[in-house]
Amino acid sequence: MSFTAFVDGPFWYFSATVFLIGVLWRLVGMLSMGSKPDFSTPRKSGTAAAIGINLTRFFPRADFWSRIRLQVVAGYLFHLGLFALLFFAAPHIEFYREYITGFGWTALPEWAFILVSEIAFLGLMLLILHRMLNPVTRAISDRGDYIGSLLIFLVMLTGCLALARSHEVLRVTHFFLAELLLIYFPFSALMHTFTFPFSRGFMGAHYGRRGVNV
Amino acid sequence: MSFFGPRGSGWQLSTLLLAGLLLFIPLPATAQEKAPTSPITVPNPATDLWRAVRQREGAAAGQTQVRGVETGVLIEQRGEAFREYRRRDFIGNAGIFIGVIAGLVLLFYILRGRINIPGGRSGRRVKRFADFERTLHWFTAIVFIFLALTGLTLLFGRFVVLPVFGAEAFGVIASACKEGHNLFGPLFLVAVVLLFIRFAWRNLPSRGDLTWLAKGGGIVGKAHVSAGFFNAGEKIWFWSVILLGIAVSVSGLVLIFPILGQSREIMQLALMVHGIAAVIFIAGSFGHIYIGTIGTEGSLESMTTGYVDENWAEAHHDRWHAEVMAQPGRSADRSGADTTGTMRTTADKA
Repeated sequence: MSFTAFVDGPFWYFSATVFLIGVLWRLVGMLSMGSKPDFSTPRKSGTAAAIGINLTRFFPRADFWSRIRLQVVAGYLFHLGLFALLFFAAPHIEFYREYITGFGWTALPEWAFILVSEIAFLGLMLLILHRMLNPVTRAISDRGDYIGSLLIFLVMLTGCLALARSHEVLRVTHFFLAELLLIYFPFSALMHTFTFPFSRGFMGAHYGRRGVNV
Repeated sequence: MSFFGPRGSGWQLSTLLLAGLLLFIPLPATAQEKAPTSPITVPNPATDLWRAVRQREGAAAGQTQVRGVETGVLIEQRGEAFREYRRRDFIGNAGIFIGVIAGLVLLFYILRGRINIPGGRSGRRVKRFADFERTLHWFTAIVFIFLALTGLTLLFGRFVVLPVFGAEAFGVIASACKEGHNLFGPLFLVAVVLLFIRFAWRNLPSRGDLTWLAKGGGIVGKAHVSAGFFNAGEKIWFWSVILLGIAVSVSGLVLIFPILGQSREIMQLALMVHGIAAVIFIAGSFGHIYIGTIGTEGSLESMTTGYVDENWAEAHHDRWHAEVMAQPGRSADRSGADTTGTMRTTADKA
């Protein structure tokens, strides 16, 4: 079996399975932990606070803005750019239609595809550099953070190198790295993609019940 | 006897007529060689067609359904001439230029060696660059190096990469480099604009710059040359980065987007501006990288940690060092062995 056939076939099914089962396993595990019963009289609605904090945390607190504006701006650039790339780039929609959904949807025009790629790269590179250069983020970052960042960067880079779609080897390299990322995903901090509403909600409910203005 | 007599008149008349006819019969080949005549011209429609296609006398557009610049021109002679010039002259000279500059930097290192901090390290550190400034610097550096590597591969690949890796591998490498170069190019423009916004005011000409230049920044002789936050050499590099960065970025955008209606002359001009500016930029970066790393002790850490040793600051940027020392609370900071994170400097205020 050629490497291309391996990447397009068995390794794709393996990585997709690891990703799906891994993500579900971690989400179910986290949610099934539950929380200790709180018998105190709630001062405010925990549910309302959980929903509220999920929305308010999209915006930085004014007190911190001057110190975290780089992370906030770069973070939005990267996440929005990556989202648009993942779900609205024509080659990706083609892939989803062929391998997963069986149907496609409207893709971004070529110029918009290029633009969001630029935006995503700008954000990701600034975030990685900030993680490495800022003494605080450097101190709290572990190897897993760098591996996740590097894998995402390499997947994006190889994707951009394969844009012409003129050489199979470039596409296969991109696909192979994306599959490695899928396997790594459930075991890393990249899980925040799915867990952030729950962690925000838990914190909002926990403090909201006590009347803390979160 | 009469010539036209009844017995001999028929024979004689026949002879006369035959002789007259002989005058109109074409001469044999041997006779033709002796008396050359002009050849028969047979017009060749293919010759005329290709002469018209190549348009040696100048471009003349034909008719086509395709709408765009020069879409009616089949073969553009000036484009071919430009391509030949670029391959034959420009690429060779660019390679020589880059090689010579790299050689000069190496020669300087061999002759001068590393410039150490006078008096050694003090153990006390001064904050020089804020986090954002260092992030911006490395972002620019990474994008620049990526663009330089992919650009040089595209420029010299046919002569360097192709013979080593073969046509198929070179096709893959060239395609990847082209796509990567085109995608990262606009990011460099963003970096240049951010660099300008962040650092321009500290790179404006100031007193002492001419003196610094006159003394070659201390290269000539061993004497110390006074400087502020940035010396004149760093200012020249900064403005070179801005100007060359704008040149390569704007010319690059012209090349990436040929759909904007630009003419062939504009595209050729953009390609030459892009190539020349990039080659100068890359060669200049050798000096910047050399001075910032192995050439000067203690310089690199200003961009890795954001701090420099006090003695380094005093030796290379004495006026800025004096400003930092004059700040309130500075004397208390100096009591410790390491004043990391406790001083507010120009970098913080910026």
